[in-house]
Amino acid sequence: MNDLSVHFEGVSKKYPHFTLENIGLELPTGSIMGFIGANGAGKSTTIRILMGLVHQDQGTVHVLGHPMPEEQAAAKLEIGYVSEDMRLYGAATLEWHMRFIRSIYPRWDQPYAESLLQRFDLKAEQKIKGLSHGQRVKAALLLALARRPRLLVLDEPTTGLDPVARHEVLGELMAVLADEDRTILFSSHNTLDVEQISDQITFIDRGRIIDSDDKEIFLDRWRRLRLVLPPDAALPKLSGIVQVGGSDRLPVLTTNSFKSDMVSACHNMGATVQAIDNMTLEEIFVANVQSRRERQTV
Amino acid sequence: MNYSMVKCLMLKDWYLQRWTIAASLAAGAVTLAIILSGNKAAFYIGLLLLITVVISVGAHLAISTMVLERKEQTLSFVMSLPISYREYTAAKILVNLVLFLIPWLALVLGSFAIILLAPGLPHGLLPYVAIMATEILVSTSFIVSVALISESQGWTVAAIIAGNLALNVVGYFVAHIGSIARTMGEATVQWSPAGIFVLVAEFAAIALLLGFTFFLQSRKKDFL
Amino acid sequence: MHSNLVISQSDSRPMYLQIMDQIKQRVAIGEWARGEEIPSIRQLAVTLRVSVITVKRAYLELEREGVIVTQQCKGSIVAFDSGLSPRLYDEELTEQLDQVARLGELLGLTPRELESRLKEATERWTAGRLTKERL
Repeated sequence: MNDLSVHFEGVSKKYPHFTLENIGLELPTGSIMGFIGANGAGKSTTIRILMGLVHQDQGTVHVLGHPMPEEQAAAKLEIGYVSEDMRLYGAATLEWHMRFIRSIYPRWDQPYAESLLQRFDLKAEQKIKGLSHGQRVKAALLLALARRPRLLVLDEPTTGLDPVARHEVLGELMAVLADEDRTILFSSHNTLDVEQISDQITFIDRGRIIDSDDKEIFLDRWRRLRLVLPPDAALPKLSGIVQVGGSDRLPVLTTNSFKSDMVSACHNMGATVQAIDNMTLEEIFVANVQSRRERQTV
Repeated sequence: MNYSMVKCLMLKDWYLQRWTIAASLAAGAVTLAIILSGNKAAFYIGLLLLITVVISVGAHLAISTMVLERKEQTLSFVMSLPISYREYTAAKILVNLVLFLIPWLALVLGSFAIILLAPGLPHGLLPYVAIMATEILVSTSFIVSVALISESQGWTVAAIIAGNLALNVVGYFVAHIGSIARTMGEATVQWSPAGIFVLVAEFAAIALLLGFTFFLQSRKKDFL
Repeated sequence: MHSNLVISQSDSRPMYLQIMDQIKQRVAIGEWARGEEIPSIRQLAVTLRVSVITVKRAYLELEREGVIVTQQCKGSIVAFDSGLSPRLYDEELTEQLDQVARLGELLGLTPRELESRLKEATERWTAGRLTKERL
């Protein structure tokens, strides 16, 4: 499967106080991409452009082969979209919403919907306004999942969910991917979730994509090196050092291009390598953002 | 234009507004009964009430189906459906007009029936009543247009107020057009050229307003 | 395939290593038999709620180490001679020998008699294996 479900090229959008600049995204069919960024970084705007809800000022957007926003109606027939600021109709029941969606999407799977009702612990007869926040999120997810979309676009799908519900939702998301033709893009603050289930990861900060790669490559490339330096020794010159912390004699170097020969290189330069720490996705993201912001202010 | 999706959206709003329509029909029936009670004072009070009911329905529908959808954040749910802004606009215009037409037609037919059947009322009133009822339709179209284009509660409320004022102004103005005023007290229904002209102008205004709205909406780039 | 792998989030090792270790364990103790089909990459990813790319990596490494074999268009199976660390087998051997000692005592056999029984068993095993290979 080499075709792309989502393809952004050179996408820009200007707002009075915020600019999305030169966004490029490639999401292959059958994979799942986690989209990580701080609040206001541009995640939601990018996703809205993907859905055709916002028109880009520049650049091309293709979703499931359809140029956006021109063919947004055709694209949205194959997409399940849930965003954090989306609400269902409070006065209506979940059952009404299910019937509504069912009347529009031909691939609605009623048995699957009912099993989701059970697993998400929801009652179809209940009115939306009577649901808690977590239940509303699960209801919206149910409506998106049961239509069996080729592409799932989720803006903060697990925010506000209790741990059991989160576990259930992640399980359902992964079950979607059992079919190789289906793709997921989700944005999240929860780096643990992203780290666990994503194939690709994209970092966005201040309106720009700052890094995008396979998850395993990220986890391989980034390391913290804890060194012990003899007195008056200089810091070893290594490639890809993005942050230096610790103290003068016990520096901690963060690198984004770790290679195993770095250890011997350090030894050759007089430093002892005390430890090489793997970094969690959260640590990688924070280090990435911090180092770029420092460079920008310099 | 995907007509089945437009229909789908209309049915959705119909379902969500069903109690409003039922209530307005009930209120309309009550006020018609008041008008028919035979008492001249009751006639005028009832008529005023009926007009109020009809105008309120128009305003309430516009706010509920458009302004609140944005405020209560259900808009992104709707826009995630396989539609473009054209289907959305068409559905909103049609829903507001069709749902509004139900109580409106009740008003028109009811008042026509009263004028023609109840004793003691000059049939000459009919053209004036037709013109005023259509003016209410123009006013509602105006409110719908403003609600869609401005996407703002403030502007929509302003449009509702302006529509009400216009009703009074037009009502006074038309009642004083020579040819219309003369025939109002007659026993038979008489359509003067001026009267016909006003009626046609009103319908043209509705078509222009809605057409212009549709045109503007299709050119919008951002929904959220 | 009744057993389910369990991934621990608090384990600081990369997930693909955890997966590899658990698969290797199951192969070593025979829970996943030689030549037996193992879950496809996607199936395992869904079951474990882990990204496909992580499972893919684990499988690639396992193949490089000769623990599994991936067949073109057919999925993966446990390799026939995986050369896994003898440590696990060693532990099992010790366990089994302890059992033998216990049974020997119950039956009243001397160590010498136990030794000859072991020799017979080794001969039976070798003969059996040769027969299977010839077939």
